[in-house]
Amino acid sequence: MKAVFYYFERDLVKWLRGRVTVVSSLVMPAAWLVFVGLALPTKFTDNYLEFITPGILVMTTLFSSLQGGSLMIFDKILGFLNKFLAMPSPRESMLYGKILFISVRGLLQASVILLIATVLGVRVLNPISVLLIYLTLFLFSVFFSALSTMIGLYLGDHDSYAAVNSMISMPLFFTSTALMPYDVMPAWLRTLASLNPVSYAIDSTRLLFEGTIPVYGILGLATGAGIMVLLGTYQFRKAVV
Amino acid sequence: MIEIKKLSRSFGNLLAVDNLDLDVGNEIFGLLGPNGAGKSTTVMMLTTLLRPSSGTAKVCGYDIVKDSKKVRSKISYVPQDMAVDRKLTGRENVMLFAKLYGIPNRNSKVDEVIEMMGLSDRAGDLVAKYSGGMRRRLELAQALVHEPEVLFLDEPTLGLDVSGRKKIWEHIRMLKAEGMTIFMTTHYLEEAEKYCNRVAIIDKGRIAAVGSPENLVSSIGENASLNDVFLEKVKTPEEQAGFNSTQFRNLLRRR
Repeated sequence: MKAVFYYFERDLVKWLRGRVTVVSSLVMPAAWLVFVGLALPTKFTDNYLEFITPGILVMTTLFSSLQGGSLMIFDKILGFLNKFLAMPSPRESMLYGKILFISVRGLLQASVILLIATVLGVRVLNPISVLLIYLTLFLFSVFFSALSTMIGLYLGDHDSYAAVNSMISMPLFFTSTALMPYDVMPAWLRTLASLNPVSYAIDSTRLLFEGTIPVYGILGLATGAGIMVLLGTYQFRKAVV
Repeated sequence: MIEIKKLSRSFGNLLAVDNLDLDVGNEIFGLLGPNGAGKSTTVMMLTTLLRPSSGTAKVCGYDIVKDSKKVRSKISYVPQDMAVDRKLTGRENVMLFAKLYGIPNRNSKVDEVIEMMGLSDRAGDLVAKYSGGMRRRLELAQALVHEPEVLFLDEPTLGLDVSGRKKIWEHIRMLKAEGMTIFMTTHYLEEAEKYCNRVAIIDKGRIAAVGSPENLVSSIGENASLNDVFLEKVKTPEEQAGFNSTQFRNLLRRR
């Protein structure tokens, strides 16, 4: 268990020292929040910023998680993976350290976005909601960072990984409830959105902003995250023998 | 320390390591051979990173498949990639390994191995500022932090300048003097001849020759070197196909 934390710590320190990447990953979600959230004229709500904030929070963690798979690829290509695997600490702790780091990184980025939203006037009702928003985002991040690490290990090279990543990230975002509620969607989009795991996270987060606790949403995300971690562990074991 | 019995590994149709038998005692052992001979595959099997297709091997008395975790607790492995984190300091790189190995009193142990590798005054610098030789020594420091019984080095002097290579070899000798077994691969035969207690030359996954450099050299003749032994034992594809350079030259001249 301690090894998981040490691997996590390694990635965190390295990330925080790469100043450009820390800031650059925040620019896009912030731009969505300001340029779309504050500017888009909508009919279904008179406070679009408030509506879009949960979607942008989830988007921040989604993109962060999807990028995370490249970490495992680089560790593999550059020879770190072999050095770590030749050590007696449990081999999976390397995988769990990665998932933990990618998820925590997503939460740190989401915190900045939440701060910006608060400055722009978005309010959360109580501290428990804030806590549960973090839990929701964390579970969601674990789900997607386990998935992206699996894809990364499977593909094994960075170029194809980046291609897959850019192929799935925007469609996942646009077919979710990030930008509009189910009832204003065309029927075909509504079907896609109700199947999209990203919508689950957004809907739960949105309910929390309104002051309701989405028990089933959180339980669903927890189950999904658990299953993805199990699948990831299975694939990691197979990949490293 | 290492007993290899009929060890084989194939990748699809390619037999990378073919029925390898080898015993390594407490010594500096060099595994030599041309590119693609199966050196790295052998090291990866012995370090439990790759499962053998057939055969067995024991490292420090533990089976590399059944007791792989115990093997890992007795060895250290330094691959040829120079995998050290550029955005961490030298000390942080070694500290990570000390933590992962669960070393007690890790602060003093980390300082000790950094000192041993002559990196004390640069330990607080980011590795991005290190030279190739320093990075290699830093990797050795990482590998030594848990006092392994066997140290596996894959091309430890690859890409280093003369003084960098000399330093690495001095450290390897010092480790041997302290009782560590060193199993390494290299392409620099002069170095192997000078520093290894015994070497094995492998070609196409098979042992072509094994013994002390002196014995191998003297079997070829006076004034020979390990290079001559290598060229004698390892046939290039041209030689195997019966390529005759004199004939080829005459052919060209005639045109």
